[in-house]
Amino acid sequence: MTDESPSDRRDRGVSNTRTESEASRERSGRNEPATRRSDAAVERGDDRTIDRTGEPLLAVEALQTHYPITEGWLRREVGRVRAVDGVSFEIHEGETLGLVGESGSGKTTLAHSLLGLEERTDGTVRFDGERVSELSGADQRAFRRRVQLIVQDPNDAFNPRMQVGKAVAEPLALNGMDDADRRQAIVEDVLERVGLAAEDTDRYPHEFSDGEKQRLAIARALVVDPDLVVADEPTSALDARVQSDILALLDEVRREFDVSILCISHDIDVVRRFCDRVAVMYLGEIVERGATAEVLQRPAHPYTRVLLGSVPSLDPSDREFVRPLTDTIPDPADPPSGCRFHTRCPAVIGPEDADLSEETWERLAAFRFTVQVGELPERIEMDDPPDAATVHDAFDLPDNIRDDEVAAGVEDAVTALTEGDLDQAEERLAAVLPSVCEQQVPETVDVEGRPVTCHRYDTDIDAEPRPWCE
Amino acid sequence: MESSDRPRFERVDWSEIDTERRLVTPERALFVLGLCVVVGLFLYDYYYAHVYLVAQWAVTPIDWAVLIGLVGLVSYGVVPAARNRAAVRRTYESIRSRPVLSGALAFLAVFGVVGTVLPVLLGRPELHFGYAYQPPVGVTVDAGWSPNCFGTIKRGQGIQRYCEGSALIPLGTNGRGQLMEAMLVAGARPAIYVVLFTAAFIVPLATAVGVAAGFRGGRLDDLLMTYVDVQLCIPAIFLYFIGYMYVGASLLLLLVTFGLLSWGPVARLVRSEVLQRREDGYVVVARSLGGSDSYVARRHVLPNVTNTLVPAVFHLFAILILAEAGVAFLGFSNVELYSWGSTIAEGLSPDRMRAHEVWWISTVPAVALAATVVALKLAGDGLRDVLDPRGGR
Amino acid sequence: MRMGEQPSTTGESLLSVSDLRTRIETDRGTVRAVDGVSFAVDRGEAVCLVGESGSGKSVTCESLTGIVPQPPASIVGGSVTFDGVDLRDEATDLRSIRGARIGHVFQNPQHALDPVYSVGDQLVEAITAHGDVAKRAARERAVDLLRQVGIPRAEVRVDDYPHEFSGGMAQRVAIAIALAGDPDLLIADEPTTAVDVTVQARLIDLLRGLLDDGMALLLVTHDLRVVASLADRVLVMFGGQILERGPVDRLFERPAHPYTQALFDSYDGFEQLPDRPSRNELPADGCRFRAECPHAVEACSGGDQPPFHPVDGDTEHTASCVYYDEHREADAILDAGRAVRPAAEVDADD
Repeated sequence: MTDESPSDRRDRGVSNTRTESEASRERSGRNEPATRRSDAAVERGDDRTIDRTGEPLLAVEALQTHYPITEGWLRREVGRVRAVDGVSFEIHEGETLGLVGESGSGKTTLAHSLLGLEERTDGTVRFDGERVSELSGADQRAFRRRVQLIVQDPNDAFNPRMQVGKAVAEPLALNGMDDADRRQAIVEDVLERVGLAAEDTDRYPHEFSDGEKQRLAIARALVVDPDLVVADEPTSALDARVQSDILALLDEVRREFDVSILCISHDIDVVRRFCDRVAVMYLGEIVERGATAEVLQRPAHPYTRVLLGSVPSLDPSDREFVRPLTDTIPDPADPPSGCRFHTRCPAVIGPEDADLSEETWERLAAFRFTVQVGELPERIEMDDPPDAATVHDAFDLPDNIRDDEVAAGVEDAVTALTEGDLDQAEERLAAVLPSVCEQQVPETVDVEGRPVTCHRYDTDIDAEPRPWCE
Repeated sequence: MESSDRPRFERVDWSEIDTERRLVTPERALFVLGLCVVVGLFLYDYYYAHVYLVAQWAVTPIDWAVLIGLVGLVSYGVVPAARNRAAVRRTYESIRSRPVLSGALAFLAVFGVVGTVLPVLLGRPELHFGYAYQPPVGVTVDAGWSPNCFGTIKRGQGIQRYCEGSALIPLGTNGRGQLMEAMLVAGARPAIYVVLFTAAFIVPLATAVGVAAGFRGGRLDDLLMTYVDVQLCIPAIFLYFIGYMYVGASLLLLLVTFGLLSWGPVARLVRSEVLQRREDGYVVVARSLGGSDSYVARRHVLPNVTNTLVPAVFHLFAILILAEAGVAFLGFSNVELYSWGSTIAEGLSPDRMRAHEVWWISTVPAVALAATVVALKLAGDGLRDVLDPRGGR
Repeated sequence: MRMGEQPSTTGESLLSVSDLRTRIETDRGTVRAVDGVSFAVDRGEAVCLVGESGSGKSVTCESLTGIVPQPPASIVGGSVTFDGVDLRDEATDLRSIRGARIGHVFQNPQHALDPVYSVGDQLVEAITAHGDVAKRAARERAVDLLRQVGIPRAEVRVDDYPHEFSGGMAQRVAIAIALAGDPDLLIADEPTTAVDVTVQARLIDLLRGLLDDGMALLLVTHDLRVVASLADRVLVMFGGQILERGPVDRLFERPAHPYTQALFDSYDGFEQLPDRPSRNELPADGCRFRAECPHAVEACSGGDQPPFHPVDGDTEHTASCVYYDEHREADAILDAGRAVRPAAEVDADD
């Protein structure tokens, strides 16, 4: 390890890198016809512009998909899992949109709702200007043909009993192409174009590797000439180099046939390389969306920052993470009030009338929400309550709190904890440390041309957005 | 690779292709045609024919039911097989390589032909009261059992005479002089009818219910499974006895009551498999392509379910054959059917103390029954192995 | 020890592996899953074994303590020494080592945990297997272990069943069970692959904490980012062999072996790759990567894998590639790849 600071080292790395790699490539004679060397979105901006002024191919507005929780044989509804809770976005022709989120974010439910595999509870989906729910008969069948799905697990994507030729031809057959020879010819052609062989039509899925199966899945999606492909985690099950391979194939497909792609992924690297635009989902809502380069380099929403900041850096000298306040992901059937992210948000807004420094508030916020959620640190247990000093130490509570009311509340909470009363502690803290983030649902505000749903960007609220470089 | 007349997917003009689901498929056409033939036969029988429809066949309601079932099995079983000849050939090769399975299937094929065709041609077994209780070849019995002895008479102690079986009547005769071979053939008929009826009506019903419950879920699922649970509590034999009081002894009644009460477990099995596979990638894709539940079930779920379904179905056949034989044994079936069960009972009835002397009357049909049940079980297990994608191909 | 290869540190290593070879019988023939692997792990050190599927990294770990199923596998050569004990000696009681001295964590926690027993029961079982501990004391230790791995309200959760834990929490439980015997070395095979990225970050924090407490870690992963965040030293595996090894900062700055470079490349953009042979068709001699290597030359075939040569004169960072042979008049000396580039990163402090 050298004495350089991480940023110095990185700066040196940048300038070194470009010339070194170029030189070495020249010397070694390595040619890279289709390689993307730098940020995909930026580069693509140069050789392709996507017309975002016209009618979008897919327009989703306030989409909701809820699952009822029922009790009893009469199926009385006692609650709802709000898997998708008010999502809006657009995809234009030839565009790739990445949908990023963790488990429980609702991204797969969203994809299935778009395709009609799940029933929408509310909201509209417009495809090519027409409302999908109003389509019937031939138009509905046309919609089904023009939107295709690539499922998550390539090992699961094919019927083990069916030859892959028949499987890839299935969309053709289901859409009315009766001539078996014609189907076979088209399938053989498509297989060769995705990098497989025409003879492979007779084989069974288990005879192919994961990467090859994913090519088959792409072929199957392509064979009916779709306009939009929904790719659910297209590369998650694949090795790094095979991932690269498949993304290149998808990109070629996109460019050559002008297919739009909705790419669902939990992997930021995939989105970074492959998608023009990205939408970040948390607990059924989109918290931020915009051009990939912008969102990834200047994330506005605190959840996006936590998400990106949790991805380990490829630089071994940089091992810092951006940490949320608490780790527990709330139950989608009972999401937090106001802004859903407030229980974990490192940028949660403090009480307006309290006199607290930023740093104090941050520590108190951590205290309040870890107690609320029950994620108590190691030394604290309610069976064998600790003493006040341990509580102060474990939660890293500030010694001098300027605001008397808050200080009193905090002391009460500490006392409650020493008595093993978690609920009382929670109550006191909630009383003295209210936050607009739990009281109001944030409005969607335009930040540098992209929509962000966070109170800090709302000019009506007395809180400034935090800078990204800390 | 570039050739202008090579079909390319992006050049397909989808507006020209009619995506309407076809109403007329080969299976449906054949099925309707077959039904028409049956209806024609029925009308002929009703208006023109006297006692026999053809040869020695006096047609009863159960025969019509089985005929309809056969039409269904052929149109929905044989036609897809004809379309998929390569797969059929592979399956055939796979069966041939398994001697036990081949033997069981050969036995069942013979059993099937014997049960359906021979009774039509031969009619009921002829009565020869003069030659009752004739022993099988090589076996001797007290000559007092019958006025005449077809074979040779042997002398014993004092005035004891024995009748020895003749090779011309290899299996002997029963208490009414009917040849045991004829009784076997006649008894095969109710047994094969059980199998055909179950395969044509019960199994599809159970499968359809299982698929509907599995795919739709919700209230339909609750309703159907509750019904299945209730149904499992009703002993079929009681229902049969109640029906027997009103309708009398009828094979159709037996099949309907036992059949209707035995589809539950198969339905549950199918439902459970559907639930497991609903979220499999290829099923989701097929549904997203617009495949109906029945299409997805037929094409993607059921073929992958054979491991559990095939043995269960053959087990059901075996159970129902035994049920029919049992009911006949108890005397609650139509004597004209000559079911193996009733023949077994006959063999025990003459003189309790001496029934063992004419042991072949019970034993011969019992062996046939046992062999059939064993063959069904072996066939079920063997076919499961053959159809298992992971089995040695 | 192979020619040119250096032991990673001076002095006694905790774990020392030399020329380990494991074969697996498949219906397509014998696969040399581990084909001459040598490395060492010191106390308190984190060594990462990086590779794609089929590289042999998991089989290597399972071969160390003999948990790889034999048959169809068989460990046919090499030595494994742990704290002076020869693990390949038949006289060694491997069961007393597993769990007590060496802990294992696997990829999918729901597989490692038995669904019909409570988490506490499984912990107590692990605790009492390696020491005569009274039931009550074992239960207290179980709760302590859960706390140590960061399960909130451990005293309540100890009686929960595995399915009541989310993926990340279940993995922590699996780690707790691995720690039950107070091992010196933790072998973790893709422990963060099946979880979300924020959960992965917390698991990495946990592992770092364990490292700070003095535990040694052998981590198997395909994810270079996880390697960057945890490793002290890196071993790059392909086709059953180690192709490059070195301290993490130096290896990441200048990946030397063409395979390593290809791995790093794949993080940067995407490209269509030429047809690759399947796992079973890898060459059995020389450099196993040569079929896919853009720089393959004649010298790459034949004999054992190429010896390890220092990269840029650094004896700790070596690559098994002919292009680094300082005595060779190579037609094109391969320059050790590109450094880690910030444009390729999603970084918190840009």
